[in-house]
Amino acid sequence: MNRVLSIRNLSTSFSTERGVARAVDDVSFDLYEGETLGIVGESGCGKSVTALSILRLIEPPGKIAETSVIEFEGSNLMTLNQSQLRRVRGAGISMVFQEPTASLNPVLKVGLQISETLRAHNSISRATAREKSIELLDLVGIPDPDKRIDDYPHQLSGGMQQRVMIAIALSCDPKVLIADEPTTALDVTIQAQILELLADLRRRLGMSVILITHDLGIVAGIADRVAVMYGGRIVELAPTTDLFSRAQHPYTQALLRATPRIDDQVDRLETIPGAVPPATAWPNACRFHPRCKQRFERCSADEPPLLDVSDSRLARCWLVASERRPA
Amino acid sequence: MTVVDGPLLELKDLVKDYRASSGFFAKADTLRAVDHVSLSIERGESLGLVGESGSGKTTLGRCILRLIEPTSGNVVFDGTDVLSLDPKTLRALRRRMQIVFQDPYGSLNPRMTVGAAVREPIIVHRLASKRDANVRVAELFDEVGLDPSHMDRYPHELSGGQRQRVGIARALSLKPEFIVLDEPVSALDVSVQAQVLNLLADLREGRGLTYLFIAHDLAVVRHVADRVAVMYLGKLMEVAATADTYAEPMHPYTTSLLSAIPQPDPDAQSERIVLSGDMPSARLRAQGCAFFTRCPHPGKNDKCRSKEPPLSEIRPGRFVACFKADDPLRLER
Repeated sequence: MNRVLSIRNLSTSFSTERGVARAVDDVSFDLYEGETLGIVGESGCGKSVTALSILRLIEPPGKIAETSVIEFEGSNLMTLNQSQLRRVRGAGISMVFQEPTASLNPVLKVGLQISETLRAHNSISRATAREKSIELLDLVGIPDPDKRIDDYPHQLSGGMQQRVMIAIALSCDPKVLIADEPTTALDVTIQAQILELLADLRRRLGMSVILITHDLGIVAGIADRVAVMYGGRIVELAPTTDLFSRAQHPYTQALLRATPRIDDQVDRLETIPGAVPPATAWPNACRFHPRCKQRFERCSADEPPLLDVSDSRLARCWLVASERRPA
Repeated sequence: MTVVDGPLLELKDLVKDYRASSGFFAKADTLRAVDHVSLSIERGESLGLVGESGSGKTTLGRCILRLIEPTSGNVVFDGTDVLSLDPKTLRALRRRMQIVFQDPYGSLNPRMTVGAAVREPIIVHRLASKRDANVRVAELFDEVGLDPSHMDRYPHELSGGQRQRVGIARALSLKPEFIVLDEPVSALDVSVQAQVLNLLADLREGRGLTYLFIAHDLAVVRHVADRVAVMYLGKLMEVAATADTYAEPMHPYTTSLLSAIPQPDPDAQSERIVLSGDMPSARLRAQGCAFFTRCPHPGKNDKCRSKEPPLSEIRPGRFVACFKADDPLRLER
């Protein structure tokens, strides 16, 4: 399979009153053609900052380390100037955010917001842009697209607004779509519609998708591979079926057991003691060790690298390299 | 007088209407947020109330405490008609019924220490002197798993999970019998959510509390509720014991809702019913079944379109508002 996007040693930090927050710390992964990669983790683990960093959408006081490499279509996005970057954003890699209400301009008709993107990237007439916009609204499953194109965002429901955002993201045929919690603000029946739409579009358009979510259920249904993030780092990376059947990292295991399920009733949910520390104060050594039930001496002394578990599986845990691992 | 038998809380034909206008110059019309809801909660029971945004579940919860005045119907708490009480008696009764909100950040005063926030109801209701109140607050902090040394902190200095524990301690400060939990874990991360759910289970057992647990997340409700009530467009669609609801839902809406929940298991991806469209506005409701426009049941017919199915007890303890309850929609698992 061909690599579409290659991230190497991505680090993004923010200077704050309390010190430097290392929100994303030395993250590396590849995205292959036509695949959906899920990035999961709890608030503050660095998943959204990873997404924004890929498109270099980090504003001061945030800073992407110079040593980071974001390789897309043969060039390192870190070395591009603003006008070159603008061509990549939208036409190469585009993004859908959590809150469609916050991303759409409330005083512009939705059709205009799509045509605007189209005309920024292509030299086409207003009429052609309008025609293409209607096609895009149709593509994302909006009924009566020739009428809805003249609606203002507030005339559409949350689910329909998110479809418009997806239409805008798809307007310039991107190779990669990054969806950052695209369904978190939506009801569960509407979420099911949007997830189905994303899966369908990926198949039809042959894009690669990075889906960022806190919901393990969502990645189980849609992703080919999953990266689990904790403390600004990837702690586990595996094909989806392997991750859910044999999670290797104690954090992934605990997260799965803490998730309530509709097909299973347990008396008590397993909890992970404590909370995620602030990004200004990651523990030295393994970042999860203060909350880990399986920690041993080495965990508080050195931080483990991402270790090979087997083919295409990685976990950042000393247990992987240790004879302490229970068989 | 205290009635010992019978449910702790009974809602009879509860209705809440809002006057709503669709535009600046438009004529105001009525939006029915809660539509003739009758429901009872037994002592010590935890009743889960689920539904999507706009289903009326939050309005219903607030009507019980009269934080919102219902338009008509009755709320009977332990034999007392809550809606007929004068403000003074109502305030006394509110000691026995409390609420925990979804967003502890929004419901705590940012300029009040969290200790003072928990102490305030005790002082307002004159349950203890200031010094005794502080002792009580320290005990409450301990009970909800907060370090009593955090009493002097401000809400922004605590994590989301800790703030929700403060919200719970504040609700407990008056020793209530009944608590409305309105999406108490929706704003929390999974690992912290599990901690708070376990805490709520412990408190219920230790204090013999009765809960109305309002949530949109059916997986969470499964872990906390004895019975589940499903709401759609202000109406109850189905009420049943939790195990029955999940094992064999009878209303097509419940079935669809369950099938839409993403399961954290790639092998358990069951057949999914993807409902088309959105929930219609409570203002434009046509006659007939509230769910008619989105109902995936293959046998839906003109009767469903024109007549509203009543919530009927089709088996002891199982209530369904569907004309097709004898032929429920089934999912391949």
